[in-house]
Amino acid sequence: MFAPMDSWENVNMTNKEQLKISSLTGFLHGFESYRWLWVATAVALLAAIPAFVDTSWVSLLCEVLILTVAASGLNLLIGYTGMISFGPAGLYAVGAYSMAVLIVKVGAPFGLAFIAGPVAATAVSLVIGWFCVRRTAVYFALLTLAFSQLIHTIFFKWYGLTGGDDGIVEILVPEFLFSIENYYYFALACTIVSLLVMWLIVNSPFGKALQVIRENRGRAEFIGINVRKYQLIIFTIQGFFLGVAGSLLCGFNHNVFPPIANWTESIHIIIACLLGGMFHFFGPFIGSIAFILLDRVVTNCTEYSSLVLGIIVVLLVLFFRGGIAGVFSEKLSDGRH
Amino acid sequence: MQLLSGLSGGMLIYLIAVGLSLIFGTLRVLNLAHGAIYMLGAYLCVWLTSSFEQIPGMFWWAVLIGPILVALFGGLVEVVLLRRIYGWHFMYQFIITFGLILIISDLVRLLWGDGFHSINYPWPLKGAIKVAGGTFPLYNLFLVMAGVSIFFGLQALLHYTKLGKVIRGVTYNREIMSVLGENVPGIYTVVFMLGCWLGGLGGALATPLVTVTLGMDITVIIQSFIVVVIGGLGSLGGAFIGALILGLLDSFGIIFLPQLAIAFGFILMAAVLIVRPYGLMGKREYD
Repeated sequence: MFAPMDSWENVNMTNKEQLKISSLTGFLHGFESYRWLWVATAVALLAAIPAFVDTSWVSLLCEVLILTVAASGLNLLIGYTGMISFGPAGLYAVGAYSMAVLIVKVGAPFGLAFIAGPVAATAVSLVIGWFCVRRTAVYFALLTLAFSQLIHTIFFKWYGLTGGDDGIVEILVPEFLFSIENYYYFALACTIVSLLVMWLIVNSPFGKALQVIRENRGRAEFIGINVRKYQLIIFTIQGFFLGVAGSLLCGFNHNVFPPIANWTESIHIIIACLLGGMFHFFGPFIGSIAFILLDRVVTNCTEYSSLVLGIIVVLLVLFFRGGIAGVFSEKLSDGRH
Repeated sequence: MQLLSGLSGGMLIYLIAVGLSLIFGTLRVLNLAHGAIYMLGAYLCVWLTSSFEQIPGMFWWAVLIGPILVALFGGLVEVVLLRRIYGWHFMYQFIITFGLILIISDLVRLLWGDGFHSINYPWPLKGAIKVAGGTFPLYNLFLVMAGVSIFFGLQALLHYTKLGKVIRGVTYNREIMSVLGENVPGIYTVVFMLGCWLGGLGGALATPLVTVTLGMDITVIIQSFIVVVIGGLGSLGGAFIGALILGLLDSFGIIFLPQLAIAFGFILMAAVLIVRPYGLMGKREYD
């Protein structure tokens, strides 16, 4: 199985659409059976790229990798469990800030501080998650957004610890991570390990249970799944991966500022999921590439980038809901029926 | 004094939250852009007031006209955009309204720049009255009265007019109302415009008290989220009570525990979630 089972996305598929999809299926089956080959090729390509392009592109790729970890983590919630979280940026920032504070204020070694990011984010998401999973659907989304903004406000106002508006700057990283190329390989390794762990999670019995919850919460409860507990566990797990992304970001930028906790950042992560296709394991990766490129182009072209971005988001949702990967494989399972 | 400032702050939040709640109750769309609507109302009010300064009492004209412009804008958004997405999974509705926030706030920046604006207390509510040793700013007293009248006005509108009965009917069962010959999409537009009018009014009335600037929407929308979580989405009475509690908590909290001021709403929300997960006045939700 490459993509999760058929999703709540296309309940209203017409026959014509289904026909179109079955003609795609032959091609996709070929794609499926060579899955690991594709993944290996992609990894090899990513590893080889720094040899051929200049530093600014490598730095762009670093951002793609960081966004990939964050968006894939969020996708565990949105795509696999059907819980729409609107506050990933808060947890992401907890990771980044924990690492920054430990290095700058405490003087902790890089490795320890780097691990502290995900650990802190996991702890915070456990607490937030405990409240959030008490409500479902719209309320859940509201609560995640509200808590994320609370985190943003705390980082903004707690001057003594976080430096408020000035952020934390001059975060020291070990010498071998100074060059962008080396940091890129470090980020690549972290991304691959994270994605591997996520892959194992979504394909474990636990991961399948999450997909049952997404498809039908009532039935999931009926077959004895403790829905709230599962939701809390996956919320905490996504917090961990958002923390990894936060640590990576902190090490990449050598500074942290409150806007990384703001809801605009949340929406970037969500758009990366949506753009790539959230019912596909590698959707967030593809979406991250597309989003970073799009963002660069838009920011370079106009001063009013969020206007353009907003219009793109609206059009995207109106006409292109499956995302890039969705065009290929999200409908695969429907074609198989 | 704290009581009054809490009550008047609560009334402002009420105006935003009730619009949010009303729209959600009828249209089943949670409009994240409601804060941006509020901001639009505030900017329009400041702009109208400062560009026509020579007209006496311009502020009140701006309070009258601004929200109507906002409502017209809301009607446009409803017809062009929201009408396409009713009944979709709420995540897409969320993302579309999120896109709207980006669009509206950049439009505001395009039109009015990213400076800070503020206006004075309008005539004739400049002063304060002294009663029993405390000073009570007239404008805050006015806000409390305005909030209460809007609350009763809305209740009367929904319960005693033909339009209100149709709105409640559509909220209850849109198919049956449609079969009965009511123009359901038209009612949706009207409700959305009413919600936007309330949001715009909140923005306009807030201008003498707050600094009008980009990003003012986010604070307000988070506060109204807290209110609707406390009160229950779709419940207008819940919005009123929730807003009052939040307003009072904010203004008293800031005296006793200023460091924790920002967290009070969240603590309250957390407490409500533990005790009554579906809100004080809300009904159990089904999914």
